[in-house]
Amino acid sequence: MTGRGALGMALWYVRLTWFLSGVSLHRLVVYRADFLIGAGSLVVRVACQLALLGIIFQQVPALAGWSYHQVLFLTGFALLPRALDRLFTDQLWILSRDLVRTGDFHRYLLRPTSPLYTLLSERFLHPDGFGELVIGLAVVATAAAQLDLTLTPVQWLLLPLLVLCGALITTSIKVVFAALSFWTTTSFAAVVAASQPGDLSGYPLDLFHPSLRRLLTWLLPYAFTAYVPVSYLLFDRSDLLLWLPLVTAATLAVAGVVWRRGVDRFEMTGS
Amino acid sequence: MTAPAVAARRTGAGLRRYLPYVTSGLQGLLQYRITFLVSGITAAVTAGLLAYLWREVFAARDTVAGFDLAGITTYVVLAQVLALLQNNRVDEGVSAEISRGDIAAVLIRPVSYPVSKFFASLPVSVANAVVVGVPVLGLYTLLLPLAAPTWSGLALFGPALVGSVLIAYAVNMLVGLAGFVSTNVWGLRTIKDSAVALLAGQLVPLAVMPEPMAAVARLLPFHGMVDSPLRLLLGRYSGAGEAVGILAVQLGWAVALLLAVAVVWRLAVRRLEVQGG
Repeated sequence: MTGRGALGMALWYVRLTWFLSGVSLHRLVVYRADFLIGAGSLVVRVACQLALLGIIFQQVPALAGWSYHQVLFLTGFALLPRALDRLFTDQLWILSRDLVRTGDFHRYLLRPTSPLYTLLSERFLHPDGFGELVIGLAVVATAAAQLDLTLTPVQWLLLPLLVLCGALITTSIKVVFAALSFWTTTSFAAVVAASQPGDLSGYPLDLFHPSLRRLLTWLLPYAFTAYVPVSYLLFDRSDLLLWLPLVTAATLAVAGVVWRRGVDRFEMTGS
Repeated sequence: MTAPAVAARRTGAGLRRYLPYVTSGLQGLLQYRITFLVSGITAAVTAGLLAYLWREVFAARDTVAGFDLAGITTYVVLAQVLALLQNNRVDEGVSAEISRGDIAAVLIRPVSYPVSKFFASLPVSVANAVVVGVPVLGLYTLLLPLAAPTWSGLALFGPALVGSVLIAYAVNMLVGLAGFVSTNVWGLRTIKDSAVALLAGQLVPLAVMPEPMAAVARLLPFHGMVDSPLRLLLGRYSGAGEAVGILAVQLGWAVALLLAVAVVWRLAVRRLEVQGG
């Protein structure tokens, strides 16, 4: 691997991901019922969330200044980064629950790729993520059509980047809490607890108490996965948007440091 | 001794066989104390989200389907506490035992597997409700104005609570037994968790739902888990007749679902095939 530039390295990982995703796709075809249940389960979950929204908006025309279709757009958009995260990082759950406890994590240290990548690549294209992605896109498209939303060329260009940053933030948070298992043996509960507030990202943050809002903006920055980009796309509000690259870089950096320290620790105890 | 006395003693001895399952359920629980914290965070976040949503609604109007703000806040917070009581993890445990094949060892024991699972789930339910539910309720009592229940409401809530625990056990047992036919019980559990939450009235009372959805929810057994107990507790019925009716429907569903568990279990054992180890 030496002698490769950073760009060459990145391209190599992209090609590898493409190939391994193809491998995973085969598994989805073989276990067809499992795929349908997995993808369908997320669709049902979102449908129930939308039903709640529908019931609330039967009572009032606007929620904290957001109309029904604006909230719908936000709810749908929030699913996109989460779906990307779910498609590619399901293994982090397994790490937090089993791999350190059983010692099986050492297998991921033996390949010529980064241990994190090796771990994740064992199960790319998690079926549940497909359900979330498809229904997320459908909800966003429906809401945008109802809102007569027209994006500027700049917004169109930024759109995929916004989703990608959201996915990176979501994954980084998960990495941090899953990597805690290197110190505590299992950290499944911690990953669940840290993911839980992410469910709030589909609602306008204006609803919540300022302390909760600050928590979701600066501590567990789920606000940047949906509320901030959607505020920009719908209302052209960009005060927090400027922080997005910085917050993404910061969460990635924290995740990187915690992960590396954790892996080093695992090697030291190595059994 | 009279015949009924003999029968009673026999049932007593029969039930005493299941006592170890209660204690082992409790012991298992104490090893995973951190899950209490996680359940607490989940319940607090969900209750908080719903309370904030309704606060916005009530900024624009005074009542919704006969609820005032304190009433609906009380409803959503208590609904989360009930959800904790029903989080007995039977589905998780049963499906895991099926996929590992441990279910084979179960068959040689002189006890009924579904009954032993029920007794093992009791301490989980009670501990969840007491260790997590009560603090969450306490937290929101401090933060938000809640409506106090009446004595008659509390009296009716007792039996309704038993009914809701039975229904929740049966539903989770049926989902767990689905492990005999599907390997993706995680997906089935996600479907069950979200659909039951909505149809039980865990997110909004049935009275607030639009008519077609409320009609569907009333036809299904799940409203006996949250909506019925809370209707009784908060006094949302007119006259003793209606209160008894609510309890009767709930009990009927509990019996029907427990029968369904017995039938499904028998069918499942018949088709069970475990590779010799």
